[in-house]
Amino acid sequence: MPVGSPDSIVWRMPPMDMTMPMLPGLENALPPTPPELPLQDPGLPSATPGEVLPLADGDSLYLTATPVRRQIAGQEVVMFGYNGQYPGPLLKVSKGSTVTVIFQNALAEPTTVHWHGLRLDNRFDGIPGMTQPPVEAGDDFVYELHFPDTGLYWYHPHIREDVQQDLGLYGNMLVLPETPDYYSPVNRDEVLLLDDILLDENGLIPYGKEVPTHALMGRFGNAMLTNGVTDYHFEVNRGDVVRFHLTNVANARAFNVNFGGLPIKVVASDLSRFEQEAWVNSIAISPAERYVVDVLFPESGTVAITNTIQAIDHFRGEFYTHVDTLALAMVGETSASPDYSPSFTELRANPAVSADLASFRDHFDRPPDKSLTLSLRVRNLPIPIMLSMEIDTLYVPPVEWNDAMPMMNWLSTGAQVEWILRETDTGLENMNIQWDFQVGDVVKVRIFNDPRSFHPMQHPIHFHGQRFLVLETDGLRNQHLVWKDTATVPVGSTVDFLVDMSNPGDWMAHCHIAEHLQSGMMLGFSVKAPPVNR
Amino acid sequence: MISVVYLILLALPSPMQPGECTDDYYAIDLIPTRRVPAARQAQGSVRLTFVPSPFGVAVDPNGSYRYNLDVQVNRLGPVPGHEYTVWLSTPNLKEVVRLGPLSREGHIAGSVSWNKFLVIITLEPEGSAPVRWTGPVVMRGLSRSGLLHTMAGHGPFEQEPCTVYGYY
Repeated sequence: MPVGSPDSIVWRMPPMDMTMPMLPGLENALPPTPPELPLQDPGLPSATPGEVLPLADGDSLYLTATPVRRQIAGQEVVMFGYNGQYPGPLLKVSKGSTVTVIFQNALAEPTTVHWHGLRLDNRFDGIPGMTQPPVEAGDDFVYELHFPDTGLYWYHPHIREDVQQDLGLYGNMLVLPETPDYYSPVNRDEVLLLDDILLDENGLIPYGKEVPTHALMGRFGNAMLTNGVTDYHFEVNRGDVVRFHLTNVANARAFNVNFGGLPIKVVASDLSRFEQEAWVNSIAISPAERYVVDVLFPESGTVAITNTIQAIDHFRGEFYTHVDTLALAMVGETSASPDYSPSFTELRANPAVSADLASFRDHFDRPPDKSLTLSLRVRNLPIPIMLSMEIDTLYVPPVEWNDAMPMMNWLSTGAQVEWILRETDTGLENMNIQWDFQVGDVVKVRIFNDPRSFHPMQHPIHFHGQRFLVLETDGLRNQHLVWKDTATVPVGSTVDFLVDMSNPGDWMAHCHIAEHLQSGMMLGFSVKAPPVNR
Repeated sequence: MISVVYLILLALPSPMQPGECTDDYYAIDLIPTRRVPAARQAQGSVRLTFVPSPFGVAVDPNGSYRYNLDVQVNRLGPVPGHEYTVWLSTPNLKEVVRLGPLSREGHIAGSVSWNKFLVIITLEPEGSAPVRWTGPVVMRGLSRSGLLHTMAGHGPFEQEPCTVYGYY
């Protein structure tokens, strides 16, 4: 399969807002790594929309990663797909079930599959060099997936996510509850994977072959994709209560999701329901996070689901409102049947979640067991970027919602930028950190995002194979407890994670901005099983 | 070139420490105007914390950060028949919100959903609740995001008038 980096692929500068002048000295600068793109091949199949795959306990599934032909924003591009689909198939399974996945790599490069959020057997976590060797081109690997927790999960590669995931290798796993009243009733479900992709009039902007580009801020796209398309829409009846299962699969972009001003009920997140449901007006979702929310559509018409942000114009020092449409809900005249609006208006408390949390509350107020600082180190960045960053970082927002410096960001690569998780007590950094725990340990990890580093940015931190609570942010107790596997640490903030070390094995924790991960921002930890009494 | 990089690195601010959290970095210093004799020695600041939210960061539907404010001012002398009142305003003063009078201890709490804003303390007749301030400005401060005002109007890349962006 002709996928690679031939001489015909050349760097093209990413699209920029032309009201922003080019930094002097960068006019002809290029990332210091060769460009890479999947090659056009007339023989490639056209990708098809993702299918829903209900799987029973004991079922097997063939999953293949292949190059595919896609149409995005009127352009034909070559991307990747699981089973030739965008997104990959939605696996619907029951809590407690086990499924076998026979994975085949039909790409021209190594890959693995990480089953994000599952507390599964460590051997199947998909981490190259830690839990398995890379699946080389043409090879296969058999994953055994166990689903102990109701919730919304997703799968993606764990080799060069900045390329492979961005090219479309992602899909959801929906673990269905054991009881029908686990959630309040709704008329229908919508599973939405939120993404973006970076294009110009000639197609995809190339990726860095040896190291990622966009290492400072991550690769933001300029076209929004919902379930892999730019014009996603669906039909509902007037008065329908719709449950949205949202996953942010973007490399770097955090979304602020609005439903046309309609009230939103937040029901669940990564691994559980919230202890107490809550009303919100928008959903702030970082890369790799998931939220389950209910929305009532009371009137017929079209409701735009948008990403509405206060973007930053760094050059002019301004915030400005930027709106992208993610999807359209076409609300028909037919009335909802049954009418679930009465139950929609109620916010449920979930005693089962409270009961699950009870044994952890004794740990809430004790000092942290581990402490990390988030920072970065740069070397050999072009002088204009160094100078500009010095001026620009007088103020850094808690969250970067847009790539406001696309040229500088594009030119920064993983060869020049090293993102750092630094252990406060030891000074150890990234994979030199190897924590040891026992199954049953409850570990408080305090993570501080240093705002005075060279280029601070928020970091969505993911712990593999375990679940955690966000206990506190900046000393304030979290009033919205829910089990998670990924949570953001805003710039300048200190966030306390309480990690339930329940799953034995060798794991990693890392930032889920793909380019930050590829630039080093990860650590290792081991959870030992208790000794077996003979 | 090496010396330039070295100078840049020397100029980098010291890293903050865990525990010096958002409210330190994003805190707003309140600066006296010295227009009111009883308040000339005043010192004050505003702590910011995110409004509680189910998400990792609190924003409103427009994407503006939602902060709780904790205003604390010390060494404010009493002025008979008057009270010190706290206001929030957008930088161009087009939108003004009255947070309320400071307590005897010089404290008031509130919230804001602007990304860039001013905190203004004025001296107002006791018991009055005007929609905009009438008395002298005693102290004022600017959210840290005010430092975003950078290259277009000032500095080495200056090429556009600041007034375009509401600065005079």
